Amino acid sequence: MSDDLATETAAETPSPDAPAVPGLEERDTSAVQWMAERGIFVFTALLILAATIFVDGFASLANITDVFNRAAPIGIVAVGMTFVVISANYLDLSVVAQVATAAVVLMAVSNSSGILLAVLLATLIAIVYGFVNGVAVGVFKANAVIVTLATTFIGIGVLRWLSGGSIYFGTEDSLIRAFGTAKLGPFPLSMLVLVLIGLALSYVLTRTTFGFVIRAFGSNPDATRLAGINTAWVVIGAFMLSAFGAMLGGFVLAAFSNTAVSAMSDGFDFRALAAIIVGGTSVFGGKGSVLRTLLGVIFVSVLTNIMVLSGLGFGIQQMAIGALIVAAVSLDALARKAATT
Amino acid sequence: MSDSKLQLGSQDNTDLLSRVRTLLARRTEGRALALLAVVIIVTLFIEPTTFTSYEVTLGRIAQIGLVALGLTAVILMGELDLAVASTLAVSGVIMASVENMTGSLTLGILAALVTGLVIGVVNAFFVVQVGINSFIATLGMLFFLRGLGFVLSGEQPVRLDNVDAGLAFGDPLIGPLTPRMLIFLVLFIGLQVFVTRIRVGREFYAVGGNRQAAYDAGIPVKARVYLGFMISGSVAALAGVMNTLERTAADPTAGSTVLLSSFAAAIIGGILLTGGRGSVFGTLLGAASLGILQVALTLSGIQVDVQNIIIGVVLLLAVTTDPATIRAVVTNVRSMMAGRADARAQPG
Repeated sequence: MSDDLATETAAETPSPDAPAVPGLEERDTSAVQWMAERGIFVFTALLILAATIFVDGFASLANITDVFNRAAPIGIVAVGMTFVVISANYLDLSVVAQVATAAVVLMAVSNSSGILLAVLLATLIAIVYGFVNGVAVGVFKANAVIVTLATTFIGIGVLRWLSGGSIYFGTEDSLIRAFGTAKLGPFPLSMLVLVLIGLALSYVLTRTTFGFVIRAFGSNPDATRLAGINTAWVVIGAFMLSAFGAMLGGFVLAAFSNTAVSAMSDGFDFRALAAIIVGGTSVFGGKGSVLRTLLGVIFVSVLTNIMVLSGLGFGIQQMAIGALIVAAVSLDALARKAATT
Repeated sequence: MSDSKLQLGSQDNTDLLSRVRTLLARRTEGRALALLAVVIIVTLFIEPTTFTSYEVTLGRIAQIGLVALGLTAVILMGELDLAVASTLAVSGVIMASVENMTGSLTLGILAALVTGLVIGVVNAFFVVQVGINSFIATLGMLFFLRGLGFVLSGEQPVRLDNVDAGLAFGDPLIGPLTPRMLIFLVLFIGLQVFVTRIRVGREFYAVGGNRQAAYDAGIPVKARVYLGFMISGSVAALAGVMNTLERTAADPTAGSTVLLSSFAAAIIGGILLTGGRGSVFGTLLGAASLGILQVALTLSGIQVDVQNIIIGVVLLLAVTTDPATIRAVVTNVRSMMAGRADARAQPG
């Protein structure tokens, strides 16, 4: 029995090349490290520049508004999920189910019993998601990918079962519709919401004890636990923030399209993950930034927009996002190797 | 685990009871066996037709179990292959396309299996050479390959020209056993022998239990990880081939529920996601309980959404009720309580 436990603790400790590298910035950085650290700024600028020059219809006001409209819900999901990634728990796959549930609840319940009850119910559901995912991962130490894979299927199953897969339409004169169509110049109001949430969560990550603890936990869970911190609550907190991000993302998505259906959030999981990783938050945990995720959202949204404008199909788009995730994580991994050797 | 076997040698003198106890403590299939017993008993009362129409049930078990068998090889080493779902879809599409182009079913099947192997090598490359966590590497591959399947198929199911071969594939070959069940059986036995009796396979446990120690002991860790991903990739491709034959068409969207049920089967089977512990037999038990459960639910007229909820709950319970984690949780909660009591005892 005892050797059984010993094997497990050995397996749980991060592999030798995994520990975060404090003071990475002070070292002589190689080209790979520079790319991993600062590359996103250059890549985003280059991408936008190239799109402006080469892609017909990119640099129009209508298109830019469209990019923002599509970026806002994914961005809100991504800034929340950033905390899960920083806590070294890979990602929250169940945002797909959460976004769709929040959107359907907002539309369906506000049509029948008012917006207040709809928001209240959606909040309750978000708390349940955050708590179930957080307890399974934080207390029971289960793998986050598998846990959220299970909760995705449970959540989508419940939603489709209860809604029968039907589409819910909003009314034309509702508050939700007014929010969905409101604009500040070329910026949809939803973009402002994204920036505000981003700033608030960035404050939480960089200036609060919770933010400090979550970064510490992400880079070294054992040391954080030994420091006397209740790590279960850290993980639950991360999944709570992810759940609230997904809920608000669902609200914004529903307001934008003024409809809601259980299949509307397909692909939100990996688009959000791509934005987070491309932004420079490390899947190895401990290192990341909410503001960088915002940048990653811009990158992923512009890239998707370019592909759509160029007439590339859904398949190519998925391939590109998948390749982007692998490429960005590879860059991060290689930079870490360069830093440790 | 190999070190446990060594212990057994030194316990030859002890009485039968304690030897049985040691055996039970070493086995990891307890939960799978319990779930299987519960599922069988409940099904016997509620939907006994599940067992009288055993061809359907056995076919479903083989379907769920096949991808899970491949996964078992990878998870034993503490890695994960999420790309299996898309590997299944892509290799099916490639098989049907090649068959349409060349008119040869054999070439199509070969192309599909090679695709699976190549995907396995690519996955392993990112994990071993680049050093990305396999969860993220194969997640990226999952999306990439799903897109590739859409691109290759034009987002349409690809029909198989040779419909007869597809129909023949569904016929029983030996007794009531269809080719699918036979292939599953052969693979199960092969993998069971591989990881318990053959040195290379037994080293999978060592790699998963403590990679550094395995490396120090002279095990070629990288080669083993490559082999593991090649097994899971080609087994997923084989599943894609069989699905395509059975439906006489390749579906580029295939595989999303495969991910849920195959992981559920392996994890219910008692495999430890951090590696080093688990068994192929456990995976078979897990697949059997899920297969019986699914067929029983379908026969009782329960819709797919609810079935997914039930399997999702089973997976969530399986991944959180591992005996070792439960022990850890109990210890944690106890120390938390003790900590709180200490805090209360302190003045102020």
